[in-house]
Amino acid sequence: MPVIEVEGLSKRFGKKVLAVDDVSFSVAAGTITGFLGPNGAGKTTTMRMLVDLVRPTSGVVRVLGGRYRDLSRPATHVGALLGASGFHPGRSGRNALRVVATSAGIGSDRVDATLEMVELTGAARRAVKGYSTGMRQRLALACALLGDPEVLLLDEPANGLDPEGMRWLRRFLRERADEGRTVLISSHVLAEIEQTADNVLILSRGKIVAQGPIATLAASTAPVVRARSPQAEKLEGLLRAKGAGVNRADSALAVRGPSSAEVGELAQANGIVLHELFTEQPSLEDLFLQIAGTRREA
Amino acid sequence: MADLLHLFRAEFLKLSSTRTALGLFIAAIVVSVLPAVLVMSLVTRHALSDGGASIAASGLTVVPILAVVFGILGMTNEYRHGTITYTYLTTPRRGIVIIVKLVCYGIVGAVVMAATALLVVLSIAVIGGIRDIAIPWLTASNISDPGTLRDAAMFLVATGLMTAFGVSLGALFRAQVPTVAGVVVWALAVESIITVIKPRVGIYLPFAAFQQLTMGGTTHVGEPVGLPTLTRPEAFLVAIAYIAVFSVAAVFTSMRRDVT
Repeated sequence: MPVIEVEGLSKRFGKKVLAVDDVSFSVAAGTITGFLGPNGAGKTTTMRMLVDLVRPTSGVVRVLGGRYRDLSRPATHVGALLGASGFHPGRSGRNALRVVATSAGIGSDRVDATLEMVELTGAARRAVKGYSTGMRQRLALACALLGDPEVLLLDEPANGLDPEGMRWLRRFLRERADEGRTVLISSHVLAEIEQTADNVLILSRGKIVAQGPIATLAASTAPVVRARSPQAEKLEGLLRAKGAGVNRADSALAVRGPSSAEVGELAQANGIVLHELFTEQPSLEDLFLQIAGTRREA
Repeated sequence: MADLLHLFRAEFLKLSSTRTALGLFIAAIVVSVLPAVLVMSLVTRHALSDGGASIAASGLTVVPILAVVFGILGMTNEYRHGTITYTYLTTPRRGIVIIVKLVCYGIVGAVVMAATALLVVLSIAVIGGIRDIAIPWLTASNISDPGTLRDAAMFLVATGLMTAFGVSLGALFRAQVPTVAGVVVWALAVESIITVIKPRVGIYLPFAAFQQLTMGGTTHVGEPVGLPTLTRPEAFLVAIAYIAVFSVAAVFTSMRRDVT
């Protein structure tokens, strides 16, 4: 049974902005699902609708089989990190967590445990206004973890984290998923998602444009043939004439459509010298850029 | 029920872990205790004995206005600092959040008023004692008089209600500076002008109603006697009606608003 179910979800702000447009997806238990999309695609709005912070214009959201607001002590079921803000600057990190824990009916022993988990124990009694962005992000993560929830919704959790922190986060999320917990994570650091997630959802202009396991999506996407030639412009013309998609930057070409053998044979037949020719399997970034409607420069 | 207790505890923890409530108390002391000390120390003994000591306590009438501002800050700070996100994540039933805040801030406003009034009375009594000035209204029999106790209780109730009123205004309007500025201008200028032009309308305005609750039947300090007034029960009902209307509007709008 899916832990998160979204059906026909739409959100309109005012009359002109359709932030989320008829989005449907589900997230299975015990998986890490990456939620990708360019800025303004509607990721944050969708995540906020999952936890009732933003009211949908239409559609249905079910978390653990029902509405978030109907969950008893919701913070013990769903942990949400929705940005590094949300803390009173004059309150200490520990007190910020105590406030959240108290209103959620969570014991203060969890406050100290989560502070230790995110390695903020040393700064726990300092006012939040003195925290760096990374520290605030870890404090926000601590808030999400307070209730030891079975579902984690993380909106750009790697923001402000140093490389060590990102590695820690990756390992931490994998451990949570291995325990059978469910993670929905949005990020613009595609390499992070590629290393962490089982599945991805790609959102573009408010619509889901692709979803599924990363390997399946990558396999469905045509590989890119990369070539380098001193006569790149001539080769580009020949490839375009045969209907291939080509991007050229000086002597480098990125070709979609024909195989590397076909590109090599075309070059050989026209006396074009090649310095480099290979096939590149698309990375998540390629996949994302291709699906989201943007194009990476060759 | 347990969840409600958690919410109350969290609300008081929010207050004790920042300086907003302390700021209200300090501001209340500055506007009421400080003038009381200055008046009692500097005004001639004759003037004080002649009833002038009452003026020393008049700074207390400003405290309820501060309490309204305190209530507004309590709610608008949640939006300003984004803490409303965690508040609603832990308690998605937004109406309950607003109601708990109304009650908590009402209690804190009344407690601050009580502490400030106690300090004012103590200041007047101590300085009066040192200067050997008899304060007619500060005798043991007068203080223990049921009428005096009722007046004092009404002052605390009115301050608590005004603090809660501030919370409902903050929840309704969210923007901190415009709300505080608007309320101060309304309370200190607009209502006075309306009361002068249309006294029969003026007595039903919110701050006039709160004030009549505390003053026991005068609309504004220093206004000519003979203007129409509300009885205390009427003023109480009008004050409660304002709080109810604004609170219901605040709950309704909070439930529909997006937290982005």
